Amino acid sequence: MKKLSILAVCGAGLGSSFACEMSIEAALKDLGVDADLSHCDISSATSTRADIIVTGENFRSQFQHYTIKATVVYLKRLVDKTEIKTKLTPILQELGYLA
Amino acid sequence: MSFLHFIVNDVLGQASILIALIAMIGLFAQKKSTGQVITGTFKTLLGFLVLLAGANIIVNALNFLGEVFQKGFNMRGVVTDVGSIAGIAQQTLGRETALIMVLAFIVNILIARFTRYKYIFLTGQASLWMATVCSVIGYMGGLRGTELIVIGGVIAGMMAVCMPALAQPIVRKITGSDDIALGHFCTIGYIIQAGVAKLTGDVSKSTEDLELPQSLSFLQDTYLSMMVVMIPIYLIPTVVAGPDVVAAYSKGVNYLVFSFLQSVQFVVGVYVLLAGVRLLLAEIVPAFRGIALRIVPNAVPALDCPVLFPYAPNAVIIGFISTTVGSVLGMFLFPWVGLAMILPGMLTNFFAGGTAGIFSNAVGGRRGAIIGGVFHGLLITLLPALLLPLLGQYGFANVTFSDSDVISVGLVFGHILNFFH
Repeated sequence: MKKLSILAVCGAGLGSSFACEMSIEAALKDLGVDADLSHCDISSATSTRADIIVTGENFRSQFQHYTIKATVVYLKRLVDKTEIKTKLTPILQELGYLA
Repeated sequence: MSFLHFIVNDVLGQASILIALIAMIGLFAQKKSTGQVITGTFKTLLGFLVLLAGANIIVNALNFLGEVFQKGFNMRGVVTDVGSIAGIAQQTLGRETALIMVLAFIVNILIARFTRYKYIFLTGQASLWMATVCSVIGYMGGLRGTELIVIGGVIAGMMAVCMPALAQPIVRKITGSDDIALGHFCTIGYIIQAGVAKLTGDVSKSTEDLELPQSLSFLQDTYLSMMVVMIPIYLIPTVVAGPDVVAAYSKGVNYLVFSFLQSVQFVVGVYVLLAGVRLLLAEIVPAFRGIALRIVPNAVPALDCPVLFPYAPNAVIIGFISTTVGSVLGMFLFPWVGLAMILPGMLTNFFAGGTAGIFSNAVGGRRGAIIGGVFHGLLITLLPALLLPLLGQYGFANVTFSDSDVISVGLVFGHILNFFH
């Protein structure tokens, strides 16, 4: 099975997406899922090939302009491990990475 | 002897290699696999060199802007962009800046370990900007070598705890908890804006009850909003200066088309530079975080400002617009009292302005956010103008520091050093 890739996205792709990525890492560790993680800005995000994109609720309208193959997850709190786990679990199950 | 000399001066003297080795130590300390250590080390090396390449693009685009500005309006126009000036400073002070940053991490961990201020500053790029201002101002103030690194590192490390602590009472009000702190060196600006908002605003009328038009949301894409502002900043002086001034640069391309493309080129430079910063920090920040969390029980991570954005998205847009209005007013106002013309730095206007909007909404509602924002815009235009004379040779590239805490450190530190000389 292809290794899962998850991308965290924010406005400049520096600070909060990075913090988000580190929270995703912690959440995935709890779930026992291994994935390639990275972070970037919103303009670059639309041209990358991640399986799942994780971003803030405030970017919803931006992402809706584009057709993206990845499943996009919108978070209220970018660094909240519990919210990340709750929202990622059904997607991971659907993609077959989590039983 | 000559081998030692080769290692110390020729190898470690290269900031890129030094930073890659720092990352390597961090990776070893986290007991990463050999493969991860190798890729992480090279990624960091790559990141630093990409950062320098971005700085070169920016310098070229700024040289052109400086020329048309000078010829068109007969005055200097200086762009505020902390990333750009940091990139330029790395070309000569890269080693000092890297070591100041590492020492600042250590000082941060020590303060958090032994005092009741448990903040661990995790916004890597902000740490880099703070380390840069310490190395530039210290260097211009006559400090060299170990002296420069130790003094700079202690200042930067103290700021990494003090600023989150200063912001925390209002952050608590915004997030409703003490789980996270704000690690972003624009805090003095936020606190001043919040003060103005408290005096002038009405906390019962929140920005979040407003319905803002969807079309404004593109402003959240920072590179796009930067372009929107840089295009007129380039085109207006070009029109005034005329085609003859541009001809020396444009190699036969129409002067307006050339200037337009140069304005985009500036954004390209910032984009490349920040991509370099991202690669550079990708290994260093998690290493610092891992080490800090092990040493400091109950550590509170101080994170970059956009983590607050989802709490009040309207306040972000309103704060950004009102700060930009203030900075445009300041751009025209301050040259009247003999200061340089400071051109609005859009990254700071967006991130600092947006966060300041959230702060002022929390204590002064929508009226506070608007009035406070204009005031904030004036402040962040005045501060860079005041800092410019202290930058010496680093100020000639037509770009200066932004971010209120970074500049405040520069102003205080620079004047103290000058006083003793």
